[in-house]
Amino acid sequence: MPTSAEFDQMIKSGELIESPGEMTPEYLRELKHTLIVSGDTELISAPAYYLAAKRAPSINAFMTGIAIIQDELAHAHIAYHILEELGEDQEKLIFSRDPKSFRYPYAFDVPLESWTELVVANGFYDQAGFCLLGDIHDKCSYGPWKRGLNKVMLEENFHLRNGRTWMKRISAAGGSAKDELQQAVDWMFPLSVEWFGLPDSMKMHSTQLDYRLKGLTNDQLRQWWLSTVVPYCEQIGVKVPAHKETRDGKDVWELDYPFPCEFDAEHKRWDFKKPITWDDVLARWRARGPRNAEMVAMFQEEFHNFRKTHKRES
Amino acid sequence: MSNSHNGYKRVSGDAVEYEVFARKARVDPLHLVGSVVAPDADLAMAYARATYDEERWCEMAIVRKEDVIRLWSPGES
Repeated sequence: MPTSAEFDQMIKSGELIESPGEMTPEYLRELKHTLIVSGDTELISAPAYYLAAKRAPSINAFMTGIAIIQDELAHAHIAYHILEELGEDQEKLIFSRDPKSFRYPYAFDVPLESWTELVVANGFYDQAGFCLLGDIHDKCSYGPWKRGLNKVMLEENFHLRNGRTWMKRISAAGGSAKDELQQAVDWMFPLSVEWFGLPDSMKMHSTQLDYRLKGLTNDQLRQWWLSTVVPYCEQIGVKVPAHKETRDGKDVWELDYPFPCEFDAEHKRWDFKKPITWDDVLARWRARGPRNAEMVAMFQEEFHNFRKTHKRES
Repeated sequence: MSNSHNGYKRVSGDAVEYEVFARKARVDPLHLVGSVVAPDADLAMAYARATYDEERWCEMAIVRKEDVIRLWSPGES
């Protein structure tokens, strides 16, 4: 194991870390935490998307939905396998953890109940994933993960294109189809904005940045997301509560509502008249949302059934 | 769970790690694209094909990780 000074020097030099033997225990802990969030997010997107993909309007659309789910499972596999190489038990992580202890964004706990909501999730949530993972792919100091993300970035791009193409198509159809799209955007846009976490003004220090486990701050990532999503929505005629301003010659994306504010998960409705604190948001995240237990049960139940019927000698 | 001999426990039994190599074009060298954990080579091939399908590879090969003979690795020059 390197000394703390040797390790800091290695991180500063831009060198990649390749094995546990080159890490400090603090780096290992932070790396594992970051990988769990990533693996859990990819994994939970599978049941979340599956429950909506069943409402696909055609066989082709359904197959695209299923292909996306298969990709997400492969991405989860990459993160969990790295955790396994770092000494974690993959089966315990996936199949024996309490649903509430999974570390994915709250947005996935709010049910996606139509094809329209699924494609907006591809347009918004996969864009959030693209920003977060693209930053990690670019900056990550852990070699095996940086290389593993090559595949992930290629495929997230395809999910995003599916989302954008369908959003454009539904918007162009007009009438009730477009109304349904606007309704989905109305609740899913602020949830995606929340995805990036506490604003930089409240989170002064990030160990993940120190260790180059990521390269951009929460606000920088949120701005990146807004800079891609807002112009696209405007272009296809969908209203979003944000606009561009120019400050010191730079484009800045401003929200048109108090951030954070009250969300009614049951009715998928935001109350822009009720600002709340980040403590309130964190409490909502920790309590998890409506679909948490159902989705985790979808992949945990079969594992335990299998184990009961195929008792292994050991 | 991993142990020092590259072995893993799965609900279906003992499994080992296979490294997955592939290349896209004939001019490309074969390179490591990832790995899978499976109880035998047949399943490892199935997992590799299904997991690493991000390109239309012109070649894909797997090898048991423990069969790779390393002369040296990063950090041990």
